[in-house]
Parts: sequence; C-alpha cells; structure tokens
Amino acid sequence: MMEEAKIGVFVCRCGTNIGGYLDVPALVNYSKGLPNVVCAQENLYTCSEAGLNEIKEAIIDHQLNRVIVASCTPRTHEPLFRNTCKEAGLNPYLFEFVNIRDQCSWVHMHETEKATEKAKDLIRMGVARAKLLEPQEEIEVDVVPSALVIGGGIAGMTCALSLADRGFEVTLVEREEKLGGMLRKLYKLYSAQTDASQLIEAKIGEIEKHRNIEVLTSATVTEVKGFYGNYDVTIRQERKNVPFRVGVIVVAIGAEEFKPVGMYGYDGIQIVTQLELEEMLKEDRVKAHSIVMIQCVGARDEKRSYCAKVCCTTALNNAMIISERNPKAQIFMLYRDLQTYGTIYEDLYKKAREKGIIFVKYSPQNPPIVDKGMVKVFDEFLGEELRLPYELVVLSTPMVAHPDSGELAKILKVPIDEYGFFLEAHVKLRPLDFATDGVYVCGSAHWPVTVDESIVQGYGAASRASIPMSRRRVVSEPIVSFVDEESCIGCGLCEMICPFKAIQIEETPKGKIAQTIVASCKGCGTCGAACPQKAITMRHFKDEQMLAEIVALMERK
Amino acid sequence: MSDQESFEPHILGFLCNWCSYAGADLAGVSRFQYPTNLRVIRVMCSGRVDPALVLDALIWGIDGIVILGCHPGDCHYLTGNYYTERRMRTLQTVLDMIGVKPERLIVDWVSASEGERFANLIGDFTEKIVELGPLTDDLPPEELRTRLLAARDALSQQRMRWLVNREKELLEKGDVFGEQVDEAEFHEVKFEALAREYEKNRILHSISDQVLSVQEIAKTTAIPPREVLKNLIAMEQKGLVTVSRIDGVNPKYRRLGGGESL
Amino acid sequence: MELRRRGAIYLYFLQAIPMVMTIDRAHCLYLTRGVCRICEKVCTREAIDFEQTDIEIDLNVGAIIVTVGFDPFDPTSLSEFGYKRLRNVMTALEYERLICATGPTGGQLIRLSDRKPVKKIAFIQCVGSRDVKNNPYCSTVCCMHAAKEALLAREHDPNVQSYVFSMDVRAHGKGFQQYIARGEEEYGIRYVRGRVAKISENLEGNPIIGYEETFGSIVEKMEVDLAVLATSFVPRPDTKDLAAVLGVELDQYGFFKTAHLAPFNSTRKGIFVCGCCREPVDIPESVAQASGAAAKAAEIVTGDQP
Ligand SMILES: Cc1cc2nc3c(=O)[nH]c(=O)nc-3n(C[C@H](O)[C@H](O)[C@H](O)COP(=O)(O)OP(=O)(O)OC[C@H]3O[C@@H](n4cnc5c(N)ncnc54)[C@H](O)[C@@H]3O)c2cc1C
Ligand code: SF4
Ligand code: SF4
Ligand code: SF4
Ligand code: FES
Repeated sequence: MMEEAKIGVFVCRCGTNIGGYLDVPALVNYSKGLPNVVCAQENLYTCSEAGLNEIKEAIIDHQLNRVIVASCTPRTHEPLFRNTCKEAGLNPYLFEFVNIRDQCSWVHMHETEKATEKAKDLIRMGVARAKLLEPQEEIEVDVVPSALVIGGGIAGMTCALSLADRGFEVTLVEREEKLGGMLRKLYKLYSAQTDASQLIEAKIGEIEKHRNIEVLTSATVTEVKGFYGNYDVTIRQERKNVPFRVGVIVVAIGAEEFKPVGMYGYDGIQIVTQLELEEMLKEDRVKAHSIVMIQCVGARDEKRSYCAKVCCTTALNNAMIISERNPKAQIFMLYRDLQTYGTIYEDLYKKAREKGIIFVKYSPQNPPIVDKGMVKVFDEFLGEELRLPYELVVLSTPMVAHPDSGELAKILKVPIDEYGFFLEAHVKLRPLDFATDGVYVCGSAHWPVTVDESIVQGYGAASRASIPMSRRRVVSEPIVSFVDEESCIGCGLCEMICPFKAIQIEETPKGKIAQTIVASCKGCGTCGAACPQKAITMRHFKDEQMLAEIVALMERK
Repeated sequence: MSDQESFEPHILGFLCNWCSYAGADLAGVSRFQYPTNLRVIRVMCSGRVDPALVLDALIWGIDGIVILGCHPGDCHYLTGNYYTERRMRTLQTVLDMIGVKPERLIVDWVSASEGERFANLIGDFTEKIVELGPLTDDLPPEELRTRLLAARDALSQQRMRWLVNREKELLEKGDVFGEQVDEAEFHEVKFEALAREYEKNRILHSISDQVLSVQEIAKTTAIPPREVLKNLIAMEQKGLVTVSRIDGVNPKYRRLGGGESL
Repeated sequence: MELRRRGAIYLYFLQAIPMVMTIDRAHCLYLTRGVCRICEKVCTREAIDFEQTDIEIDLNVGAIIVTVGFDPFDPTSLSEFGYKRLRNVMTALEYERLICATGPTGGQLIRLSDRKPVKKIAFIQCVGSRDVKNNPYCSTVCCMHAAKEALLAREHDPNVQSYVFSMDVRAHGKGFQQYIARGEEEYGIRYVRGRVAKISENLEGNPIIGYEETFGSIVEKMEVDLAVLATSFVPRPDTKDLAAVLGVELDQYGFFKTAHLAPFNSTRKGIFVCGCCREPVDIPESVAQASGAAAKAAEIVTGDQP
C-alpha cells in the first residue's frame, strides 16, 4: 500500500514573469494549508541550480514523497524537475507540474487578484492529483542506428553527410530527379561568389561515393509508423513502395519562391522575380541598362506578414553582379527596411552603395507603381515622388513553405505554423528539434535561411539526431495503458480503436483478455476512454487522478 | 435568473499535450490575454477524455467545458481527435435531451502555433457561458444533479460505451458484413438506446434514497407511468430494484445495491 | 556593470552554473591587505580557500570549439550620446538588468539617478553599429532586443510609452515581423526612422533626444525619462590573445574568421567557431550553431564508428 503523501510545493517567481503578476507569498502560504503539504516555499528561479538544490534538500529534510513545482510549463521544464527528483532518490513520476506562468501570469497580466486565485485553484488541483500519483518504471528501447533525411537540398545533404561520416547509415529521400534543391536554380552565392552549382556538385559527389548513404530520388515519404528510435517508414518511388526502419528522422524539405502573379505587372519576361533573374544571369541574358528592383513583394503584407530574410541580400548580390558585368547599368533598389544583418551582408550593402546602386526607401502605405515602362515611387527620405524608367523590373518575393509541408507534417505528426513552415520544439532553446522525440528539422523547411545558415543547421540537426543513435538506447515515457484482467471481458473494442495495434486480445487460461504491448503503446488513452468495462487504466493519467483534480477544484465552491 | 454582472463561471479545459496545450502556452509566450476563469487539465490526447468524466465535471458544478485537440489529421496519435469529436457530439445531444444547454460543452482544435486563436476561443467561450448563466440556471439544482448522475451512469454502461465507441468504425468502414451503415439511421438507433438507458438510470436515481410508487416516480421523472412500470419490471428481474412495501394497492420501489452517488 | 555595489565575494548571477561564490581578487580585504577572513568564519561548509590560485591543466583533445562570445561596445567614446555624462542614459544590457527581478531595483522600472518611475523611454539603435567610424557591421540582434525591451517596459507598467529610433528595423527571423507589429499595435511602441544626432539633458535629468526624421531631415527634439543605447556587439578584448594561442586568424572586425560555406571552420583544422565570437547572432542561431559545431567536432573525435 502507498504510504501517506508528503508533498512539497515550490512556487517559482520566474524573476518577475510570475512574481510580478501573481502574489507569490500568498500562494506559498495557501499551499502550506493544503492537505498533505508538508512544506511550501518560493524560489526566484526554481530551475536555477539553487532552486533545484532546494528541492533536493527538501526531499531529504522533509522526507517528501511528492514534489510539485508551480512555474512555467511542463512542456519545457518537466524533464528537468523530474530528473531533480530522481537525483534525490524520488521516482520521477511522483513529480507534478502546475503551470502558473504560460497559462496564468502571462495571460492575466492586469488581474493580479483573480490570477492569484486561479493559481491557488491550480495548485490545489495539482496537490489533489499528486496525492494519487504512482511511481512508474521508465521504458527503455533500442535505437536503430540509421537516419532518414527528407529533402536533398543543401541542408539535407549536409546533414546526411555529417551523419554518414560519423558512421550512421543514412537514407536520403529527394522528391525531384536530382539532389540539390533550390541551389540548382541559383547562380552565384554571395560573399565568396562561389557558383551554386559547384557547391552542390561537390556535395553530390561526396554523397554518391559514401558507403553509408543511400539516395532515393523521385521519391516521397508516404507513411511513418512506429516510435522514437524505431520508425517504420514507407517511401514511394516510381510506383513502388520501399519500406525500411530508421531510428531518427530529419526534415529538410526547404521552401519555394513566391510567384507574384498579378502583382506589379509580373510577366516573367520584363518583370521577373529574383529567382528568374538568377537563371537569366546564369545564361548571361541580362541586357537591360536600367533596372529597378522592388523588395518585399508579397512579403510583410496582410497575407504574408513575415520577412523572408534572404531576399534583401539576394537582391544586393544580383545587383552587384549586374553592375560588375555592365558598369553602365543603372540600378535602383526600392526597399522598406534593408535586412543586411551581420558583418558580411552589411558589408555587401556598403559596397553596393559605393558601386552606385541607388537605394530608395518606400513605405507600405505608398507602394511603388509599375506603369508603362516607368516605376513611380514615393521616396521616404526625399519626401517626393520619383519616376524611374526601366528595361527590367526585378521583384523580390519571399520564400513560402514547400507545398509538401502540410502533408508531411501530418505523416510525421509534427506541427507547422500558419505559413506552413515547420514549428520547432522551443523557439530559443530547441531550434532544430520537434516536440516529438527523434524528429528534427533544418534549413528553409523551418524558416527561410541563407546557404550558410542552412549548412549550420544541417550540421546542427545531424548533431541532434546523432544523440539517440550514439546512446543506442532511449527511455520512453511509461505513460501506457494497462488492462485489469479481472474486469476485461475480451470484447476487442480497444484493439479496434488503437491506431498503433498496441493493445491486443490474447487467449489466456482465463479466456480472452486484452493486453498492452508496452513498446508500441504511445499512451494516448483513447482506448481507456472507450473500454465498456472501464478495465483500462492509463498510467499517470488515471480516471481517479483527473477526477480528483475536478473535485479539488469545485469541492469548496 | 443569474446576476450577470458578478457571475464568474467555472470553466474547465481538457487540452491535449501536443497541439492545444502547446497553443495555450504560446498564448502565454506571446502575452495574449484572456479571462481568468479557465482551469486546465492536461491530457496526452483529447481522445483520453471520457464523456463520463465530462459529466462528472458538470455534476461537480462546472459551468462550461472546453475540449481542445489537434486539428483533424494532426492528432499525434493519428485518430484520437476523431473519437473525441464523435463522443462529444453524442454527449452534447445527451445534454440537450436532459435539459442542460449543449453549448456548455465545446470541442475545437487549436494547433501549437495558434496562440492567439486559443486566447480568442477561450475569451469567446467564457463570454458565452456568462451569457448562459450558471449551470443551475438550466435546471433546479436537485433535478440537475439527478439527471446528470443518470446521464453519467448511462454513458458508463457497457452497451452504451460499446455503441458510442463503435460509431466511427461502423460509419467509416461498415459493419461486419462490410455493409455501409446509414449515418442517420445509426444516430437514431444510438439515441433511442441512450434515451432508454438514461430513463432507466433516471428511475434508479429517483429511488436511490427514497421509496416511491410508480405514479410518484412518473411524476418526479416526467416519464410516462407505463414506461416506468416496464422499466421497473425489467430491473426487478435483474435484481436492480425491489418492492420495498405496498401502500394500499401501490407497490413502492427502492433501488438495490445502495444509493450510489459519486 | 556598476549598477549597484556588490561585495568582494559574490555570485555571478542567480541562475549561474556552477552556482558557486567567487572572490573578487581586486577588492577582497584579505587578499589585498591581509585582514578580514570573515567569509571563512561564516561559511558552514568550509568552502573558502584563499590559497586557490590559477592552475594550468594540460588536456589532449581531438578538436576545439571556440564559443567565447562578445562584449557590448562601450559607448563612452561616442560623446553625442552622453553615456556616463548624462544621468539617465544607459546601455541596453544595463537596462536588461534594471528590469530583471534579480537586478538592482528588484525589477522595478525606476531611474537609478533619482528613483523616479520611468514613463517614457527612447531606444536608440545602432549605437556604434553600421557606423564606418566604429563598427561598420550590423549587430543583428539589437533591433529585436529593443522591441522586446520596449514590450517588457509596457508589461511592467501599462503607461510606459516607448520610442525606438532606428534606420531599418531588422526583423527577419521566425515570427519577428509579427512581434514588431504587435509591439506597435498592442503595446503602442512607436518607431522613428532616423539617426539620433545628439542627446542632452534638462534640469530634471530628463534626456532630450535630438534626431533627424528621415523624411525631410528636419532636426526634432523629444524629452524622455530614460534613453537606452543599443550598443554594438564587439569582439572581446582578449580575442587577439586567444587567437594567437590557438593559431587562428581573425576577420577585419576582430571576430574569429570562418570560411564561407563552411561556417564553423576557423583557419586552422580541427578548431571550430560558433556563436557571437564569429559574428553577432541571437540565441536560437547560437544554439543551432552550437549543435552544428558539436557535429563537426564529433566527426573528428568519433569518426566513422558510432
Ligand atoms: C542587450 C542585449 C539583449 C539581448 N536580447 C536577446 C534576446 O532577447 N533574444 C536573443 O535571442 N538574443 C538576445 N541577445 C543576444 C544574445 O545575448 C546572444 O545571441 C548570445 O548571448 C550569444 O551566445 P554566445 O554563446 O555566442 O556568446 P556569450 O553569451 O557572450 O557567451 C560566451 C561565453 O564565453 C565565455 N568566454 C569568453 N572568453 C572566454 C575564454 N577565453 N575562455 C573561456 N570562456 C570564455 C564568456 O565569459 C561567456 O560566458 C541580446 C544581447 C544583448 C547585448
Ligand atoms: S475494451 Fe476493455 S473489456 Fe474490451 S477487450 Fe479491451 S480492455 Fe477488455
Ligand atoms: S493508450 Fe490505448 S489506444 Fe493509445 S496507444 Fe496505448 S493501447 Fe493504443
Ligand atoms: S540589428 Fe538593428 S540596431 Fe542592431 S546594428 Fe543592426 S540595424 Fe542596428
Ligand atoms: S494528440 Fe492532440 S488530439 Fe490527439
């Protein structure tokens, strides 16, 4: 039988993030009065080394057998606090998180009193649930030491090579006939003026002769099953299905250029996009002397409110190439804010000005007008309208998410943002991971990036993906279903419902009874909410635990 | 009936870990403000939420419940949210049937990138519940409680759970003979069965802590006496109720197995 | 940072790892004058060791990753901004400490000079950056940290009004434009396009911002309670020495030089560079680069055998 719960409550101020909006001392006081709470205290930052040590000390000093931290969000910090409990000898599943920052102090910033009441309720609910928590054994699974990299652009190729160089087997899947991605279409890469084709040919050469890499072109991922460390993947290639198993998956499907159909008289001939200009430069077809480049076409507007990061530098680079080839060319660049961040790009901007390229700042309220061989634009600096005759207009359009991103997101069960770019686990701290373990992202699939940055992320994702593979074993959460053999009548409903075939009817001496296949069960609980006999318990998310929260919330009201 | 000015509804949210809970966190990270009424229970998947538990929450006096999952097709566990949707739609009809405003329960989808949408959704829902007033505006407290208890017991019953949870399979893939089941027909059968089961439990609850005659039961439950009698006879055979005493010509019934409440 | 006094034995900051006290050699009474040792007496764990001196450790490693970061530029030399001379002009980094819960005011938004609540703030961008006389490059992060700082001010006190003086607003990362737009729409942050020519102060110590609106180039004046300077990111002063020790080259600005299209590679094999010592970058980019540099090092150290 379980011993009496001795609960310690730690309320985090998170600097002013919580402390500035909730009455933290009141929360601590309140917690002290709750049943089974033997100690409660506040921390300026519970996640700091000092805070964690205080938890450990309290576990020992007060012989705590339950720990509650009321702070930011379990999505980022639960593993840390669980680990702290573990280090102090407490089963990590006897830890309970109460979210009073992301879902309380930050969303009720002007209502201290009510928000504090809410936090009290949440802590009371957490205490009620904590009382009923049970220790769980973590589940260890073997990791297949091979990776699937989806997308053979510069990021994906870099990632695949880095993993292969470390001795992991890599399958690189590319939708097109050839590897290379966006770089296939580009001309010169800025700063060093390397040929884009040179770069990719070199990479492709390395990949082709690498014994650890298998390349599948004209292929797409159609199905991914299994779990962290053991993903069963199906690739569709030329009307046949190729199945295989990998431990980790990296998404590197890149992005595409937005086509400004119906904007600024875009016709693909005299009024072209930057990408089309690249192709013209490649074939040396740019003959125009007066050229007007317009930035932020289809970007930073109602439809796509974002800045696509690379267009300013791309435009500058192309302008420089043109003016080098044809020093008499007169180039105007109409921009809103020039995004030449960092050392190299700002330097490019400076050189462009020295070269005589003319920069005209326009405001979105007064966009340029392309009209019969003339671009009219209101110059924000001069405060007057300019009329610029042109032979060629180049529109800088943003990168937009690859059209496959939505479909792939569904297959991999990872999120995308409103624009279709993949959404990482944490904007600051986990830029290359998904919340789903074992799946990573790099390159423009995540957000428009330059080639340099794609390479950085390709290596970065390789590093992240190599961690479970080098460890060979990973622990997965023991949040799984559990069948009570006494009440199960073997009706088979759970088996029918489970999308992972993780619960199956077995013939036993006691008759037909459902059994959970622990390694396959992902713990969704859909079977548990259905079982006619209520014979299924969801570990760590038991009916009683959830009901206890509801009762605790409403009891005194 | 209610004092709308000061009414602070109790709102409970069940949020799935992967999308909607992340969306709620994002609302925080982006500082989108919303009313303080919401209390959240995190579940791994919206499919974890048992309709019986939602009824429990109402029994305990929650005024509005919001169940949020991943958008269709995005459920981290593939199909959890499809079950959620069907179960909760059924539950809404049951609520309607027993006289609780079905708008008190909503099911919606919020992705991890929809922080603003989450805040707006909670704002709107809270407003809606304030408009509807406290749960006890729907029915007098005692009646409300008995009805909710009966509904919960009906939805905990083996056959009903079977029916509710087979719905997706039956309607999408057809029955054992591979025949497509007609959706409208299925719902009709389902609700008929639920109504019967509810009736049965409603009668049971009416004689949980008192002894009543058929007429009296009919009066408190508003179920026609003939139906009451039919139910009682069936339940007597199953040993669920018994005749406690006879008042003149009227047998008075009582529930067997104790007046279970919560 | 001289925002408040600290003792000669101190914690670097509250979330520091490892969380140990450090003795400030230059100010400790015992180490400078041979008296005191109070700390030794009060420490219950006998953790004070005055004998501790710098020691040399020899390590044999397969790869080196340089992540020494940056320093904020000291704007004292830019006399037009009046840093150190005017009472209520501070750098962005000082401002971050000011509004931090563990900072000198416990997170209250008040002026250090007279403890007056701050209601109007000017954020001055590109201080020392994009400036041929100082640092010609763009420091990349300041446009966004200014937006964040202005937002934070408003969260401390809904009546604060912030003005950001900048030439371009560089908001190119994921969600950045939306962040700027929300700052303008919901937090009332105002962007003034143009360079600040001079800051002076009035009798109450309020900074007066003299600036040229880009439009028409007219000199305008604005009185505020506090001016915050977004100073450039510059290489740390000891970078040259470190580069010499490592035998690698620096770029024209004094950051570690890396190869184009091989962004971690320094000029010497097996030595990799990431983060702000390579070029100014924000946190997510630093984190991504750190993972990438780790991969490069692992390729050497673990090679073809997992
Ligand atoms: C005012 C301000 C606000 C900011 N706000 C944000 C923000 O909101 N969001 C954001 O994303 N970014 C922000 N940044 C940028 C952020 O600080 C940087 O992106 C990040 O710190 C870069 O990390 P780093 O590891 O490269 O460098 P650093 O953080 O500088 O770390 C380098 C470390 O190396 C140590 N070190 C130096 N030399 C040596 C040596 N020789 N041997 C051993 N160790 C050494 C240093 O002491 C330091 O601990 C802000 C910056 C400033 C100035
Ligand atoms: S649904 Fe419940 S009763 Fe039916 S087989 Fe599964 S565990 Fe047993
Ligand atoms: S909880 Fe149930 S339905 Fe979900 S994966 Fe596990 S066995 Fe399958
Ligand atoms: S990021 Fe903005 S403030 Fe900083 S140097 Fe670049 S343009 Fe100036
Ligand atoms: S995980 Fe979100 S609904 Fe299933």
